[in-house]
Amino acid sequence: MKRTLAYLSLLFILGALLYIANPNYGLKFGPGGEDWLKYRYTDNYYIEHGVEEVGGTNIVTDIVFDYRGYDTLGEATVLFTAIAGAVALLRPWRRDEE
Amino acid sequence: MNDFDMGVIVRTAARATIPLIGIFGAYVVMHGHLTPGGGFQGGATIAGAGILFLIAFGLGEMKKRYNKHLYSALEGVGGLVFLGAAMLGIGTAFFYNTLWHNGPFFNGKPGTLLSAGFLPIMNLAVGLKVFTGLVSALTAIALWRRWKS
Repeated sequence: MKRTLAYLSLLFILGALLYIANPNYGLKFGPGGEDWLKYRYTDNYYIEHGVEEVGGTNIVTDIVFDYRGYDTLGEATVLFTAIAGAVALLRPWRRDEE
Repeated sequence: MNDFDMGVIVRTAARATIPLIGIFGAYVVMHGHLTPGGGFQGGATIAGAGILFLIAFGLGEMKKRYNKHLYSALEGVGGLVFLGAAMLGIGTAFFYNTLWHNGPFFNGKPGTLLSAGFLPIMNLAVGLKVFTGLVSALTAIALWRRWKS
């Protein structure tokens, strides 16, 4: 009984999300159509000039490694710090060896 | 407890699939500027092959193959190559892609493998860094686990 109720509620949530995410009559993320170019001209700039300025046909790589290079640098630093922290926390401590 | 592996079936399957996973990860890293994916994703895929090796063959076999100093050095080399490639265009700006239009190499037509300036170099560096880093972290977790079995 409880399990059936759980599955039914999951199904209901899925249906509600499907209704909300429908682009025709559901929630809208930002302006569509011509307004898109007015407010999101940065996206359009990357799409139009990315291949010519940076050279990769994968625009995401163009953005990640060239336009937003500092962000990738910080991400590499975060990865390094996470691994250093994991190794420092996990290795045997002095009081474990007794 | 330490040299615990998962039996002959899993070991045989892992022996067959680890090279394929590694080749696919190398493909994702090398074509990072052309197709979806890149250094992080491909490096994580190759690290998945290493973790499959660790799980299937056990920690004892992993200890024989894993060299801490080599992996630390390779991770440092990856980070330094990434920073050095970013420094190449320091005359204009940090992270300026100077190899693309007036560099001696990596300036083929867009869409070919040897194009896009420093993007392939950076993809290789980041892939190396992510692969060695993730394998080091997972080996540390397996080697010094703090719970009793």
